[in-house]
Amino acid sequence: MSVEQQGQPLSAEDDVIIIKELNKWYGSFHVLKDINLNVKRGEKIVICGPSGSGKSTMIRCINRLEEFQRGSLIVNGVEMIEDVKNIEAIRREVGMVFQHFNLFPHLTILENLTLGPIWVQKKPKEEAEATAMKYLERVKIPDQANKFPGQLSGGQQQRVAIARSLCMSPQIMLFDEPTSALDPEMIKEVLDVMVELADEGMTMLCVTHEMGFAKKVADRVIFMDGGEIVEQNTPHEFFDNPETDRLQLFLSQILEH
Amino acid sequence: MSKEHMPEVRPVKSGSFFNNPRNRALIYQAILLFGLGFFFYTIVSNALSNMEARGIKSGFGFLFTTSGFDILMSLVDYSATDTYGRTFLVGLLNTILVSIIGIFLATIVGFLMGVAYFSPNWLIKRLSIVYVETFRNIPLLLQVFFWYFAVLAALPDVRDSISFGESVFLNVRGLFFPEIIDEAGSGFVYAALAAAIVAIIVLRKWAHKRQDETGDQFPVFLTSIGILIGLPLLALIVSGNPFHLEYPEASRFNIRGGISVIPELMALTLALTVYTGAFIAEAVRAGVQSVPHGQTEAARSIGLKESRIMSLIVVPQAMRVIVPLLNSEYQSLVKNSTLATAIGYPDLFTVFVGTSLNQTGQAIEIVFMTMAVYFVINMTISFLMNRVNDSVALAERK
Amino acid sequence: MREFQALPAQPAPVDTVGPIGWMKTNLFSTPINAVVSISIFAFLVYVLPDTIDWLFFSANWVGSTQDVCSAEGAGDGACWVFVSAWMQQFIYGSYPDPELWRVNAALVALGLVIAAPYLLPKHFRNTVGVPLFLLFPFIGAAFLDGRIFGLEYVSTDFWGGFSLNIFLAAASIIIAFPLSFLWALGRRSDMPFVRSVCVILIEFFRGVPVLALFFMGSVMLPLFFPEGVTIDKLLRVWIVLILFMSGYMAEVFRGGFQAIPQGQYEAADSLGLSYWQKTLLIIFPQVIKVSMPNILATFVMLFKNTTFLLIIGIFEILNTTQTALTNSNWLEGHAAEGYIFVGLVFWCCCFGMSMISSNIEKKLDTSHRS
Repeated sequence: MSVEQQGQPLSAEDDVIIIKELNKWYGSFHVLKDINLNVKRGEKIVICGPSGSGKSTMIRCINRLEEFQRGSLIVNGVEMIEDVKNIEAIRREVGMVFQHFNLFPHLTILENLTLGPIWVQKKPKEEAEATAMKYLERVKIPDQANKFPGQLSGGQQQRVAIARSLCMSPQIMLFDEPTSALDPEMIKEVLDVMVELADEGMTMLCVTHEMGFAKKVADRVIFMDGGEIVEQNTPHEFFDNPETDRLQLFLSQILEH
Repeated sequence: MSKEHMPEVRPVKSGSFFNNPRNRALIYQAILLFGLGFFFYTIVSNALSNMEARGIKSGFGFLFTTSGFDILMSLVDYSATDTYGRTFLVGLLNTILVSIIGIFLATIVGFLMGVAYFSPNWLIKRLSIVYVETFRNIPLLLQVFFWYFAVLAALPDVRDSISFGESVFLNVRGLFFPEIIDEAGSGFVYAALAAAIVAIIVLRKWAHKRQDETGDQFPVFLTSIGILIGLPLLALIVSGNPFHLEYPEASRFNIRGGISVIPELMALTLALTVYTGAFIAEAVRAGVQSVPHGQTEAARSIGLKESRIMSLIVVPQAMRVIVPLLNSEYQSLVKNSTLATAIGYPDLFTVFVGTSLNQTGQAIEIVFMTMAVYFVINMTISFLMNRVNDSVALAERK
Repeated sequence: MREFQALPAQPAPVDTVGPIGWMKTNLFSTPINAVVSISIFAFLVYVLPDTIDWLFFSANWVGSTQDVCSAEGAGDGACWVFVSAWMQQFIYGSYPDPELWRVNAALVALGLVIAAPYLLPKHFRNTVGVPLFLLFPFIGAAFLDGRIFGLEYVSTDFWGGFSLNIFLAAASIIIAFPLSFLWALGRRSDMPFVRSVCVILIEFFRGVPVLALFFMGSVMLPLFFPEGVTIDKLLRVWIVLILFMSGYMAEVFRGGFQAIPQGQYEAADSLGLSYWQKTLLIIFPQVIKVSMPNILATFVMLFKNTTFLLIIGIFEILNTTQTALTNSNWLEGHAAEGYIFVGLVFWCCCFGMSMISSNIEKKLDTSHRS
């Protein structure tokens, strides 16, 4: 495919995301400052930080929901440039799960799941529906296929949202605070699905404050503040031996209660 | 956070020329520009050749030529020997007249009926509902015709006029009432009226300040009314009533003197008032309903009186919803006043797009001038209502 | 453990329930209310019997000429004979008698096209329902005209009556749907030139009196076509109505767009949908749904405004009524009857639509998404 040819050669065979000196401004407000991050295939990364630290903005740059002004970004071998085809190619490879689910309220669950495969990947309808049912079973709600999103609980909706992304067979999954809009009793069912996904070797970038989840599945935990990556480490080191006082303070604030 | 870096250049390299969204945008806009240019070029050249073929003059020279037709009613002196420019002015003033009367009356009717919806009295509430649902669902033109051909045309002849105390007459020729004529010394009464208004403003400020400082409340409303009526009345008595009323005098076939309202104006105003009033009532209802019930309960819980709850809590919040709706209703009223042409009330539309266009054939100039006038009137209304809106809008986060 | 036992319900005090309680709270709650209630009641008693008598009991119902109403011994109430004698013109205008079935067929077809989304199974909706909907105005007009279908030619000069009001309003809103949606999209566009063109279009057609637009269509539009090309008067009116309606609908859609959360766009983007896929598959259906009450309200306005066409000489129902009132056989002044009939016809249609609209609004309010 021409898109692949335009991509720059990978610097390391396994790096599926390469972010170099990424900078972003909202007007004159500097949101992301010199972000450098390489993600290996199959790696699970948890990103945390206070609100306004730029963590959501960073992962939203990866599938170009946000533009950036300087730096470079290569996703699965395709460089993010000002080109409609490149952007669409990258979005096909990257799944995203949102804080507020963003299911399409006018479509049934099944239609939500098959929309991408049918219109973007041009799959036949039967095949798309079979795949959709497979993923619905994996997130444990096959019986809701013909309902509308409004009829489901928050936790169920979020699991549908995960299944919707998986139907596009993405190489990378981005999670933008997937549990923070959920009632407490529903968080676990969503996290369970995510843990299962991690166990299967999916490359995941996850903005979340669920520290239990981070300890359990993350290969690396990143702490962002003021638009910078302040600290990154293995979960063990991250939680037990924070290097900066900033992270120490943050951890004490979120773990206090 | 730091401001030291500013973005320098647009990002990175570009892919193929056409896949760059910026280039695409440029291409689409160029196509649109070209298409529009072609469209306007075609219609303008067609229009020019058509007008030449039909011998229609162009330009605004006609405004200075004699119009040669009479107008039923005008607020300024006008005769058939005046120019089309003068015709335009007469029409414009008539349009403004009917708009102002219509807006004024429709607002009163609308607010009364809108508030009536919340009456604890079942009959009044029904009355409001029936009024709104009846009149907003019947075409305005039909209502104009109804008033003009079915109601006003059924009024008695001049000699059988319905009279109210031999001073106000109503008949098939219209409504006639006395005119107030100034005599020497009337300036004194007007001065007293102006003084009363100033006094009220000062009084309100003073009462407000006193309430802020001492907490005492002053019966501002009653005092204001007292001043407003009392001061001019006093002046009237002192100066020995420098006015007289000119009563309309009924003869067998006609009525002379006083102020007359032609039936066309009456029918149009009635229809516009009743129709727009129904929409305004609906707007008022929506506005009051938009204030959450919790607001009233909260006000009760801090011990405000019911009347104070309305004026201090509900109305200010309801106005946020009502004012933008009023804005568009007023604008529709002005646009709808063009229906004058159906019954021959000489508004701008009737005398200009109707008669003048017929006589001169200069369709393009006349239609555009008229459209421009309605645009300007509506922009003025919009401007004024936005000022009102700014003063009632809540400061919100964001 | 102690078992919970509910207390038995007791009857409410007598003076708070039943007709007496109702009257006490709703009519006579305060002295002022009592006075108001009694005076309204007295007014109704004074006015209603005469009105009802005029409308029904003393009215003349059967016959075919106005002599029936003026004859000796005829009731002195309304002359409904006027309405029944002119009924065909009120509905069909001067459309020729033997061809009336075509108007009826077109009306039925219109009803079916509108009901199609509810009748057709879901997967036919987009493939059959929508094209049929968009093509209806053209097919319907050709059918009434007749030439293409090999039927007898009926010039638009003969079209008229209430069916014309319905056809014009329906044909205009159907074409205005896609057009106004494009304008509304253009108004949200990032491209400054596209945006300003759309803003000017929308504000122009909303800001100018519709009557001025009709005059533009009837006296200015012919000047814009090359010499020798004449455009049917009704076609010009149709174009004007479409543009006028589009201006208002674009504004309705703008409100609809604002009700769609940003997340919907982002979710569509993250699936890799293209701009048009995103717009048509995700955004458009939701915008239509939230805008439906306002679309109906706008349609009601358009429908009422079709009576304005009288002024440029189109024989819609009000014009037919005016003609009937000045007919030399009916000069005894039946204006009230005529207007009441036309008013009632419009009232039923418009009130029905506003009922539907407020029902949809209520449903939207309760079933709204998170």
